[in-house]
Amino acid sequence: MAARKQNWFIRQAQRPPWRTRRQATALATLSVFVAIIMGGLYLAQVGQLSITGRQLEELISTRDELQQTNEQLRVEIAGLRSVPRLLARAQELTFVDAAANSIEYLVVDGYNPNRVDNTTVLLQEEAPELPVYDESFEGWARQQWDIFTAQLESFVERASER
Amino acid sequence: MQLQPQQDIFRKRLPFVIIALTVATAALLGRLATLQYQSPEVLNYLERVRNSNYNDTLQLAASRGRIYDRDLEPLAVNTLDYEIGISPNLVAEPRETATTLASILELNELEAFEMVSSNQPWVSLAKPVSAEVAQQIGQADLGGVTIDPIPRRQYPQGTLAAQIIGFVGEDLQGYYGVEGFYQDQLAGLVRDRQVSNIPFDVPQDFGGDRGKDIVLTIDRDIQFLVESELQHAVTESGASEGTIIIMDPRNGDILAMASYPTFDPNFYYDVVDPTLLRNPAIGEQYEPGSVMKVLTVAAAIEDGAITPGWTYNDQGILEMGGITIQNWDRNAHGLVDTTQLLVESLNVGAATVATELGPTNFYSMMSSFGIGRATGIDLQGEQAGMMFVPGDPDWSESQLGTNSFGQGVATTPLQMLTAVSALANGGLMMQPHVVHQIIDGTEIYTSQPSALGRPISAETAGILTEMMVSVVNDGVDEAGIAGYTIAGKTGTAQIPTPLGYENDSSIVTFIGFLPADDPVAVVLVKLDRPREYWGSLVAAPVFRRLAERLVIMLEIPPDDIRHALAAEGGAVGHINR
Repeated sequence: MAARKQNWFIRQAQRPPWRTRRQATALATLSVFVAIIMGGLYLAQVGQLSITGRQLEELISTRDELQQTNEQLRVEIAGLRSVPRLLARAQELTFVDAAANSIEYLVVDGYNPNRVDNTTVLLQEEAPELPVYDESFEGWARQQWDIFTAQLESFVERASER
Repeated sequence: MQLQPQQDIFRKRLPFVIIALTVATAALLGRLATLQYQSPEVLNYLERVRNSNYNDTLQLAASRGRIYDRDLEPLAVNTLDYEIGISPNLVAEPRETATTLASILELNELEAFEMVSSNQPWVSLAKPVSAEVAQQIGQADLGGVTIDPIPRRQYPQGTLAAQIIGFVGEDLQGYYGVEGFYQDQLAGLVRDRQVSNIPFDVPQDFGGDRGKDIVLTIDRDIQFLVESELQHAVTESGASEGTIIIMDPRNGDILAMASYPTFDPNFYYDVVDPTLLRNPAIGEQYEPGSVMKVLTVAAAIEDGAITPGWTYNDQGILEMGGITIQNWDRNAHGLVDTTQLLVESLNVGAATVATELGPTNFYSMMSSFGIGRATGIDLQGEQAGMMFVPGDPDWSESQLGTNSFGQGVATTPLQMLTAVSALANGGLMMQPHVVHQIIDGTEIYTSQPSALGRPISAETAGILTEMMVSVVNDGVDEAGIAGYTIAGKTGTAQIPTPLGYENDSSIVTFIGFLPADDPVAVVLVKLDRPREYWGSLVAAPVFRRLAERLVIMLEIPPDDIRHALAAEGGAVGHINR
């Protein structure tokens, strides 16, 4: 039994050179092919990620700018609603200060003279809808295939246009 | 079969190679396994080492919370200014660049050229500049020019409520007022953020982190009225400075608090005299003068040392602890009751009442009114005042007499207002406060009124209110307004110096509340060193002008209408909360 194993080993070690080369070439070709596929997928993924990242960066930047503009507008509105300006405008419109004896008070059933506390009523920004993570390997593979076919179609279209 | 020598060597060495590889693999796997079970410190260290290769750690401060008045009018917001700089090495045409920059930034052209052609790697050209100027620079598209944003706290109402709000310095730290007191809440947290250096990493969004917003009890319209009236009063009376505070005695809400002169928090760095940045309403101590008499009488009635009908024989002079106490008019007033004591504001009467009360009870009652103790208002920079009590090395028996009419004791304007507000609120002294709500995202925290204590009973408070109404009706008609019952008391205090008291200078005050039978607002008016010496002539008219506008702004009908409306079932008098 031991002798058979040894013979097998020797046979393997004494394989003809052409057979080794053919297998090695096939293996190398296969490796290169797999590497190209993997590399392509990786590059597609990274490219997509980079584009998304850049878009996200632009969106964040736009949002920050809008928030800043909003804050600046808040300042401008506060200036327009400032008491000195309102007083000046009221005078332009010939309003005069009310005096205590020029005000008529009435009893209104159910009216609460204690004004409703409006400081608690605040407009809350609607919470953004968060994306649901439901990715599976099958879905990811389909997505990659779709991206690949879309790029291929686009390449074929451009080539045929030329 | 005969093996060849090489094959023989290969066969002999192969087990050693296999064993070596197996051992190495086992060692690596073992090491990998042990790494999973390290202490948190070691794991953190390893994580930091790993991250340091492709991450930068930035300390990012949250956006500061805004400050609003009680009707949500913005009082403090955040904007951006910009710093314009230049990297001279990157400038291709220094002359043209300098000319363009000088015209936009309003710089001297020669100086601009020197900066643009300097040997430094980077030079700051202008800071801070507005967004408009930064935009112009950006549009000029000059090589080597940098535009860096600088966070800026802006106060859109200008000087309005400046001493309440405080300001934010260049270090983004709040100083004085609400900005200082609520620094932690407004500023939020400074967090360590990991920012990836890998170009295709999706950037993290740090924009959502911000400090809490604060809604004040201040009513912007009343604050404006108070500041306008104060400025007018200081100018008209020739006073060096002044303070007005308005508080709701029922809950301690500060509706307005102003001192003049003041400053613009947008340009705090231009203020030459740093004392202007403080809030004198809470940080400046003064001798309150005759306003103290209402507390003395209230304490004596509450203690039972005197009754409301108590009388004494005023001889115009009283020897006490080795000093002579005299009335303001140096006259004797004969048989005087407690109401007349307050109406005529008699020093001898107040000292006599304090003697009846005795030092232990007097100082105990003054302490329960909060004299000599900070009110605990939520503003930075409050002083506690000063009152010597028996047992202190600086106390003497004569001080019982002088303290009874507000001399030799130091209080802040807010302390006096808070003490008198106890009389207006049925004996219950409320904690003064300026913050109504704190908004943390979707959470809103509303401040609940809290009491500092009950120095006197409701009955005593009612008696004192009637006496203070008599003061206004029979003694200080300058403070009265037609149709309304007002309770009040003047104060005229000498100004202490290291060598005694200033000649011909005084601090005049008036504290009043309205409507007297159902007070909605307690008002303190204080003016320092006016031309006229007496509080009734200077501070009382200011109170009247304020009260005339306040009854409209707070929707308080005249007494007859108010009582008629109440009889018909209408609730009257409001405050917006």
